[in-house]
Amino acid sequence: MTSTSTTEPLRAKTRSVPRHARGRRRGRAEAGRLAALLLSPTFAVLALVIVYPLVSALRDSLFSSGEQLDENGFVVQGDQFVGLRNFADIVRGAAATRFWNAFGNTTFFMLTTVAMETVIGMAMALVMHHALRGRGVVRASVLVPWAVPTAVSALLWRWMFASDGVINAIIGHQVLWTTEGWHAKLAVIVADVWKTAPFVGLLTLAGLQIIPGDLYEAARVDGAGSWRQFWQITLPLVKPALLVAVLFRILDALRMFDLPFVLIGNQKRSAETLSMLAWDEASNLHYGPAAAYATLLFFYVVVVAFLFVKLLGADVIGEARGRRAVGRRAVGRRAEDAPAAPPREEVVPA
Amino acid sequence: MRNPRRVWRPWGAVAWLAGVLFVLPAAWMVLTALHSEPDAATNPPSVAAPLTLQGYAEFFGAGTGVSPWPPLINSATASVGSTVLVLLLAIPAAYALAIKPVRKWTDVLFFFLSTKMLPMVAGLLPVYLFAQYTGLLDNISLLAVLYTSMNLPIAVWLMRSFLAEVPKEIMESAALDGAGLLTTLRRVVAPVAAPGIAATALICFIFSWNELLFARVLTGVVAGTAPVFLTGFVTSQGLFLAKVCAAATVISLPVLVAGFAAQDKLVQGLSLGAVK
Repeated sequence: MTSTSTTEPLRAKTRSVPRHARGRRRGRAEAGRLAALLLSPTFAVLALVIVYPLVSALRDSLFSSGEQLDENGFVVQGDQFVGLRNFADIVRGAAATRFWNAFGNTTFFMLTTVAMETVIGMAMALVMHHALRGRGVVRASVLVPWAVPTAVSALLWRWMFASDGVINAIIGHQVLWTTEGWHAKLAVIVADVWKTAPFVGLLTLAGLQIIPGDLYEAARVDGAGSWRQFWQITLPLVKPALLVAVLFRILDALRMFDLPFVLIGNQKRSAETLSMLAWDEASNLHYGPAAAYATLLFFYVVVVAFLFVKLLGADVIGEARGRRAVGRRAVGRRAEDAPAAPPREEVVPA
Repeated sequence: MRNPRRVWRPWGAVAWLAGVLFVLPAAWMVLTALHSEPDAATNPPSVAAPLTLQGYAEFFGAGTGVSPWPPLINSATASVGSTVLVLLLAIPAAYALAIKPVRKWTDVLFFFLSTKMLPMVAGLLPVYLFAQYTGLLDNISLLAVLYTSMNLPIAVWLMRSFLAEVPKEIMESAALDGAGLLTTLRRVVAPVAAPGIAATALICFIFSWNELLFARVLTGVVAGTAPVFLTGFVTSQGLFLAKVCAAATVISLPVLVAGFAAQDKLVQGLSLGAVK
């Protein structure tokens, strides 16, 4: 195109732009006000019911409660400011062994359950993706463990792990699963994986289903075997969905409470998590230490989530957009009557 | 979609096997609930034993000393009440984030996500003291409000992804035709987003129904919910397996129905918003 032919319409366009933009700006400010109005009730409720208790817990962690003697030997009622003493007591004081044990359990449960759930969930998703017949029924059936209340599933596993229960009958040994020891940990892990692996599978399946089929077609033409197809197409493209699912599982696993509480019980060394420890202290009216445990757990969760997002690059929000873009590109390729070679930048993992 | 001719037959069998494996414990629970107490107590389980509704009859017929209806009604009140509240609050908020993107809307979403990092136990104590102070202990409306705020971030997150699917062009042409905000919402947005909103509501219902930690601490004889009732029921009736299984089945039934109803949209919404 030549410049002379486009000058006139171009000038007409530039002239109209400022008026248009002004209108849009005004519209934008209005939309912004409306959005703020629509969002404010939600923020108000969250501030009242979630942020306020948390701030209050942070404050509590710096106080000791109950009766104490002050330096003159008088009995003092009510909260005393003790600074970071609650934290110091927890990390290296009298309560240190119990805290580090619970910290270790929490970390151990998080690592093992999330790893197993990811592998099993991924395998289930691949299997469900391949099996066309009855996929709906299978998908509905793996939803059962997720939907069932934790109180019920913990109960189910307690029966199965009972000394005269099904598990012992199958393995042919008398193992006291729900007493102290490594088997208590194993029982918690098995029950948790049963409950949440299917759901990781369902999320991964949703991720698998939007991978364009012609990528596999092209890879086959190029002579890539199914193993290579998995590593070079499936895994990189399902990674965003998988990482987000895993991130949320990590957040939940670190805060685990109901399952070990009902399955193994309170104050059992082998299965006590940080949430259970905080609960136990709170129910014994040790508010300061309880709040300190909860605060430490909160910082631990934040650090783990931050490291996970930074190291693995989980794109929590851009995920939906990114995948839509992939889908669009795939559609574009189909329209151009796709060439046999898969586009390298997508297939080769970075 | 995959080319059907490439499907390797055994995958179907493996998928079915996995499905059966995951349903087996729950199926065993349902079956045991239908057995008589002596049959329920055998090990290995007597699969072919005659079926009876005795367990259910005793569970509902107060043959156990406590009627299961108050806790079931409490759970229904807290779950349905909080779900309605969540919808009232979350739909406008999600609309604001999805259709009229606020500047820094990703920051807002991250704020919602960050509430998933808070340990519930941290809030337990302040909430307990507040309830004690205001006399709201053992009051089901307090639980409903708590569940509302617990589910609110997830609900906004999910609904934003559903509302974002409403085509912008339709909304713009509706605005050009002089439709106000309410008309646009009712005529244009609602029909497209309704299934997603319904699924979100069902998810909130499931989470509220299943909650145990707060319910256990904040309720007692009057406002105890179904999961709290179940843990107590096991302590008192634990030896009567059929009866306890009947109780567990009844308590699981509402969430299972909700889960199946929400199935399709649930997976889609969760993978877009990827929660839990």
